[in-house]
Amino acid sequence: MKNKTMGILFASNSGCQLNDLTIHRTASSLPFAGRYRLIDFILSDMVGAGVTNIGIVTQSNYNSLMDHLRNGRDWDLNRKSGGISIYPPFVLNASHDVYRGKIEALKTVRGFMMEAKEDYVLLSNTNIAINIDFDEVEKSHLEKKADITMLTYDTEQVNAVREVITSNKDGRVIDMRAPIAADVGKKNVNLQIYFIKKDLLISLIDEAYAHGFLDFEKDIIQPKLNNLVVNNFVVKDYVAVIDRIATYFSHSMEVLDPKVRDELFYKNCTILTKVKDSVPTKYLENAKVKNSIIADGCVIDGTVENSILFRSVKVQKGAVIRNSIVMENNIIMENSTLDYAITDKDVIIQANRHLSGYDTYPMVVVKGKII
Amino acid sequence: MSNNKKECIAMLLAGGQGTRLGVLTTDVAKPAVPFGAKYRIIDFTLSNCVNSGIDTVGVLTQYRPFELHQYIGNGQPWDLDRLNGGVYVLPPFMRAKSGEWYKGTANAICQNIDFIDNYDPEYVVILSGDHIYKMDYAKMVEAHKAHNAQCTIAVRKVPMTEAHRFGIMNMKPDGTIYEFEEKPKQPKSNNASMGIYVFTWKTLRKYLIDDEADPNSENDFGKNIIPNMLKDGNMMYGYDFEGYWKDVGTISSLWEANMDILHETEGLNLEDESWKIYARNQAEPPQFVGESGKIVDSLVSEGTIIEGTCRNSIISHSCKIGKGANVEGSIIMPGAVIEDGADVRYSIVGWNAVIKKGAKVGETLPPSNPGEWQIAVVGPAVTIKENGVVAKGEMIG
Repeated sequence: MKNKTMGILFASNSGCQLNDLTIHRTASSLPFAGRYRLIDFILSDMVGAGVTNIGIVTQSNYNSLMDHLRNGRDWDLNRKSGGISIYPPFVLNASHDVYRGKIEALKTVRGFMMEAKEDYVLLSNTNIAINIDFDEVEKSHLEKKADITMLTYDTEQVNAVREVITSNKDGRVIDMRAPIAADVGKKNVNLQIYFIKKDLLISLIDEAYAHGFLDFEKDIIQPKLNNLVVNNFVVKDYVAVIDRIATYFSHSMEVLDPKVRDELFYKNCTILTKVKDSVPTKYLENAKVKNSIIADGCVIDGTVENSILFRSVKVQKGAVIRNSIVMENNIIMENSTLDYAITDKDVIIQANRHLSGYDTYPMVVVKGKII
Repeated sequence: MSNNKKECIAMLLAGGQGTRLGVLTTDVAKPAVPFGAKYRIIDFTLSNCVNSGIDTVGVLTQYRPFELHQYIGNGQPWDLDRLNGGVYVLPPFMRAKSGEWYKGTANAICQNIDFIDNYDPEYVVILSGDHIYKMDYAKMVEAHKAHNAQCTIAVRKVPMTEAHRFGIMNMKPDGTIYEFEEKPKQPKSNNASMGIYVFTWKTLRKYLIDDEADPNSENDFGKNIIPNMLKDGNMMYGYDFEGYWKDVGTISSLWEANMDILHETEGLNLEDESWKIYARNQAEPPQFVGESGKIVDSLVSEGTIIEGTCRNSIISHSCKIGKGANVEGSIIMPGAVIEDGADVRYSIVGWNAVIKKGAKVGETLPPSNPGEWQIAVVGPAVTIKENGVVAKGEMIG
């Protein structure tokens, strides 16, 4: 894949309903697994496969993403040639609005694609936690003599924004459709990660744009399933697609499982993230921590069970955190309890407060609130 | 070549072997030895430089420099990757007609006169890469300027009973140094030199060249340069430093300094946002504490998995502490593995060492007198076999 493939990442919230968690950010910069942002995974996978020319198309609320990525140095993407390029939305001449959907988004970076020296493009959303070997994707693409390789996974987590895929015995996609009520149990679902020759992508985009089409899946891929060889690459690695608060919570908790951690952090490549120079975490006299992920910079003098603590969280004496996700710079004061809660960055839970949600409906505390 | 001028640059002496650290410095120089769960010893001095606004640092290396060179790299983790200045690793080098190792601290600087001249500095700060402390060198340089001094030496008060172990600066009430005594039998004062100097470069340059020409000189700052400058009546001042400072040259002082992080009253506070200590980052996932993990009064870093018990310990990044394992009063360096049921007490376990199941390392019971810790040391990448025993105070490597 090295030097032959460029990456284009979509950092929009389309298809995501993360409500309170995305008031201040996009899904791509949603904190995940104690020290990461969601975009770190796909970005690190690309870097791991030698993709070093990566464009990120943003849409809204991208301040936190820009702050996270800076010049790309933490992913080894501060390069003279290639590296990271962030494309904030701009108004298209024809539409008098920022882009609507992937087709217009790709139209805005047409120049970037034309100028790039790479022949292939890897397209991906950024709300997916995955540690994948993209070289395998390229191999499959070439073996199957495919026009487009589509990455899919088998899941029970089916929702309206991801197509259910049917493919023949050669792995060629023959049908894709929105889920229907009869879809129960595991289905093969589109991950919306594509590998495609650059020239083909540009011609498809030009044609679709000229017709005023908006939807990459419905308006480009689906009508062309007969004309183009769309190769179904079924991902067997651990996949977490984060698009609802419930899936954010359940996938976060899965990371407590050692098997999931091995898959997500050590399987194919190193997951890189912004370096913050936090001090190591300090456990004080009354610390009782069990089955939890703890980032650096925390000071713990209370009880933490089945939870995820991001960087620099202070847990005071007598505080009890169970089944919760506590983001950066929280202070949980004396004798407070959290159960099935997600507290966003910079939240302060004052002494003797008791917050509780339920595993299918965790309580979310918005960034910066004091309770 | 012009316009590189810097008012002040730092030269960091990092070439010493650190023989008293035994197996820990067999393959790496002392400044590269891990410290405090995620740092190396040299991180403190490098971070002090950056935090003091000194953006040009020459690091003089000689003994086993590879690990240190790799660690420093282009200086980016310390924000020392600069267009003009930044961090430079300066090993000894060959010249047209000769070439030699650094013979002493002064000789090391003398061999790099060209490097320093390139920045045409007014002042040069000379530092050691093996001390743990947080200090604003800018304030010391200000004091140096205010006194119009040729040399300013940082001093700290040590207990009078221990003064005979240090280089002692005898000072007048206004801070002027009138006498220097190296490890005096009958100390006249308790102002110990910390090995941190600010020199007016023009003056130091002359003394370095003169010293080099003296065949009887040991080419050492403490033994030669400072006494010679005093003898000639240069303006030399002591600069009182009262914060935390520790020379981590011995196993027991290295162990103590690590333990001092756990006890804030000792004054080594790493959490101060205004004076961050930077380190090269490991890109590891956060630490994980398992169902059977129990951690109290300890410092733990990224990538570590803890299933056992840790008390009063420093657990560095990428370590594994197995089920039923017990770690007490110990320093576990990066990548070390303490297997199920192993018992490690009052010990230093080197990086990538493995303590197999059921092995016992160090004191079995705390000594009756807490001042008499006899720290056991397991060297880097050493494996202690299943049910093996390492006695207190023993060093394996």
